[in-house]
Amino acid sequence: MATQSSSPAQSTEDINTAISQASADGELLQLVSFEVGDEEFAVPILSVQEINRMMQITPVPQSPPFVEGVINLRGKIIPVIDLRKRFGMSELENSDDVRIIVVEVANRVLGFTVDRVNEVLRINSSIVEPPPSMVCGLDTDYVQGVGKLEDRLLILLHLEKLFTADEMAEMEQTSKAA
Amino acid sequence: MDPSLLQDFLTESSELIEQLDTDLVKLEAADSAEQAQELCNGCFRALHTIKGAASFLGLTAVTTFSHAAEDALNRLRKGEISVTEEVMDALLQSADVVKAMIEQLGAGETAEDGPQALIDTLHALAEGTGDTPPTADAPKESDAAQADSQDESAQTPGDDKPGVPLELGPQKLDLLEFMVTDLLDASKLVADAIEGLSNDATLEESAQQLSEVCDEMEKTAEFFELDDLTSLVKLLNATAPKIPSASHEAIEEIAIRLKAANHLIDLQARALSDLRALSWPLETFRQRLMQLAEDGSIDPQVKGKHGGDVQKLLALDGVEEAQEQPGSPAPVDSEPDSSLPPDVVGKVGGQDEPASVPPPAGQEEAGTKDAEKTEEKSSGDKPAAKQATKTVVEQTIRVEVSRLESLLNLVGQLVLNKNRVLALTRNIKSLTIPPEVAEDFTGAAGDLDHLMSELQVSVMRTRMQPLAKLFDRYPRVIRDMARMTDKKINLEIVGKDTEVDKTVLEQLADPLVHILRNSSDHGVEPPQERKEAGKPEVGTIRLEAEHQGSHVRVAITDDGHGLDRQVLGQKAIEKDLTTPEKLEQMPDEDVFAFIFAAGFSTAKQVSDLSGRGVGMDVVRTNINKLNGTINITSKKGKGTTIEILIPLTVAIMPAMVVGVGSHPYSIPLQCIVEIVRPEPDEIKSVSGHPVMQLRDSVLPLVDMRQRLGEQPVEDGGKFAVVVAIGGQRVGLCVDKLIGQQEIVIKPLDDTYTQGGPFSGATIQEDGEVCLILDIVQLIRNSSTKTSGRDTKAAA
Repeated sequence: MATQSSSPAQSTEDINTAISQASADGELLQLVSFEVGDEEFAVPILSVQEINRMMQITPVPQSPPFVEGVINLRGKIIPVIDLRKRFGMSELENSDDVRIIVVEVANRVLGFTVDRVNEVLRINSSIVEPPPSMVCGLDTDYVQGVGKLEDRLLILLHLEKLFTADEMAEMEQTSKAA
Repeated sequence: MDPSLLQDFLTESSELIEQLDTDLVKLEAADSAEQAQELCNGCFRALHTIKGAASFLGLTAVTTFSHAAEDALNRLRKGEISVTEEVMDALLQSADVVKAMIEQLGAGETAEDGPQALIDTLHALAEGTGDTPPTADAPKESDAAQADSQDESAQTPGDDKPGVPLELGPQKLDLLEFMVTDLLDASKLVADAIEGLSNDATLEESAQQLSEVCDEMEKTAEFFELDDLTSLVKLLNATAPKIPSASHEAIEEIAIRLKAANHLIDLQARALSDLRALSWPLETFRQRLMQLAEDGSIDPQVKGKHGGDVQKLLALDGVEEAQEQPGSPAPVDSEPDSSLPPDVVGKVGGQDEPASVPPPAGQEEAGTKDAEKTEEKSSGDKPAAKQATKTVVEQTIRVEVSRLESLLNLVGQLVLNKNRVLALTRNIKSLTIPPEVAEDFTGAAGDLDHLMSELQVSVMRTRMQPLAKLFDRYPRVIRDMARMTDKKINLEIVGKDTEVDKTVLEQLADPLVHILRNSSDHGVEPPQERKEAGKPEVGTIRLEAEHQGSHVRVAITDDGHGLDRQVLGQKAIEKDLTTPEKLEQMPDEDVFAFIFAAGFSTAKQVSDLSGRGVGMDVVRTNINKLNGTINITSKKGKGTTIEILIPLTVAIMPAMVVGVGSHPYSIPLQCIVEIVRPEPDEIKSVSGHPVMQLRDSVLPLVDMRQRLGEQPVEDGGKFAVVVAIGGQRVGLCVDKLIGQQEIVIKPLDDTYTQGGPFSGATIQEDGEVCLILDIVQLIRNSSTKTSGRDTKAAA
């Protein structure tokens, strides 16, 4: 990692170069950043298997409301979660930029929809702060930390917590509602 | 320890254990001494292999225990103890213990030592004074026959082979090939170890290895009771620990002598497979080697003269190649096996006929077919047959299931892609391209279609396994059941070569055990009762399997007292599963089907074996999972037949695709009874639940739009697809019928998508996902909702 950061060819983004030069001791994080609603989120690049354009999603009746349905990922059927619904946001109107990010979490492969995928970036772990007790009114369980970039904030998601830990609670709520 | 070595050991041992288990049960029931002998040897081989591999891997618990079991089995093999239920119990339990150990190892734990009580029993069996075999006459006859034939076969190879004919008892003869292989393998290991001696880095390790191999080899050598062989091995064994402390020069001299000794062992092993014993004047060789090992000194006359050549060295040390001394006398101890009764030995000694001469008079008197068969086997057929199996083994390879699964998955995808290409070719005609090109294209697509279906079949076949894998376990189940319930039961197995998909095989395992237990516990009567009913004392359970089109039919038939409609009906009313009025009109099959209901048991008391009413529920659930059907026919006093019909593979099945709202859903064709189109005024409501009159019965309906969360529409639910499982029927109201298709089933096993009434999903030609409806769940839900209504409607 350290050798990578010292090579200028590796970091095309100005911010990244600046960060990696600023402190070489901290761990370097490689992230995929994307937007949902007005926020910018990021997940570790190693957990991302692929990013797809929007495809035909088959709804699965009686699944939790944030589950949009299932898709055919080259013969494998995987569930797709609508992150907007998961975060309790309103539905998106213009969906041209919507992408499905396919991740592997705790041995499960699943996809989630985001409004737009921004970029792959490297940040130093030293600029990531633990989440404040309340972030934008979201439950902070699945927020791993907040990365302070020069001009913006990046919310680092904890995928396992996002898709597994409080899922049981969600499921229970669904069954109560139904 | 190398994990892949351990893995190999585990896989191989589990297979051997299964074989052992099967053979032991067969052994108990063996009806000829010859057959018993063969099975006994098979068991012995299996245990011996496990023991050998375990000791190689340093798995002491397994080694010690299997050694104890092997000792007991050895006595049985020699006929010193007889096949009694107690002996077999101990041996079968031992097989279970070894199995448990292997499972523990497989789970990454250390194997626990075997239960002491069982080890004691085994030791007692191995060391006991030994009772006379009850079938003392029979084995003796066949012993004699075998001894004769062995004598002949020893003579037949002709006198140009080196060494003197070796005489072994029939039991040993049977294992000869096995032991020779053992010896040759060991000799190879010794050669490897000797190589390692020349390198300082591996010196100690190799010496260590050498003495380990020699320990094993000593046991094998003792088997043959050949003085020279045993002393050679002992010589090697004695030298090994002294090597690391010897000088470089001496080690070189030692190594070449070890090599020579190993060479002799190898020669002996090869000669043994032709039933010849070799012998050499070993004294000088032995002394020189011992001298070398003790103080590194060597007679200067011979030092270095061999020039590294084994033959020269042997000549120098006065050990000449056996080939040059065909007439050298055999040691006295290689004479007949001491376990043979003296009279038999006498007979053998007195016979000198060549192979072509018909069996001697004494044997003709015995005149049993068995004896003749034995003779054929031991003289000629057997080695050939064994060689044949060896070649077969080499023609198969082990493949991880996950690899096969990904292959199947890829083929499934290819099929979908092919479908797309075919769809494109259909459209190509409307384009403005030259007709020849279009034709070529169509032709190519047609070939692709053809090849794809062949590929699909081939890949599916790689997942097929014979039902024997399951069926071979059941004799043990039945045996244990019979022992515990004091019944006499004979299990007949037909069609165990029938092949089914691996998944089907796995899902069938539990249901079949439950049914078999039920049949033996509740079906077959105790001997006394059977006698009184005029039936043979021994009950018969018949397990048969056969292909029927794209399905496989498995039937379990017992000749017990059959199901009692009266009793079952009574119980069903008690359990509130039906009403007396309904019961009266019910066909027998439907009444019998109550035994599949959860918690349904007519057993007066719960036993260890069955009676809790859980088993048959498992049966139905598993069979339904496989999209199979179960049918029961029974005649009171005559017996019961339970018939299971399941698709050959679970990966592909025919289905009816229907439309609900804007989405397609698949319904397994297996479950569909008929499809009707009810007029709106035919649909009535009973306590808020829709029903319709279908001919002379009332059919509960499920509004699929409502069930699947679609908005209700005026003209929706035009078709009622009548589905049935285990006699329960329900009509599913759908919007449209799309058509019948062969669908590839994909699991829908994520926690997010498990809640709904779906058993899986499939991918359609256009790549879109189509959910498969879980009929069992739909029926179960609708019946719990409407069970109250049923009673009211009837009242």
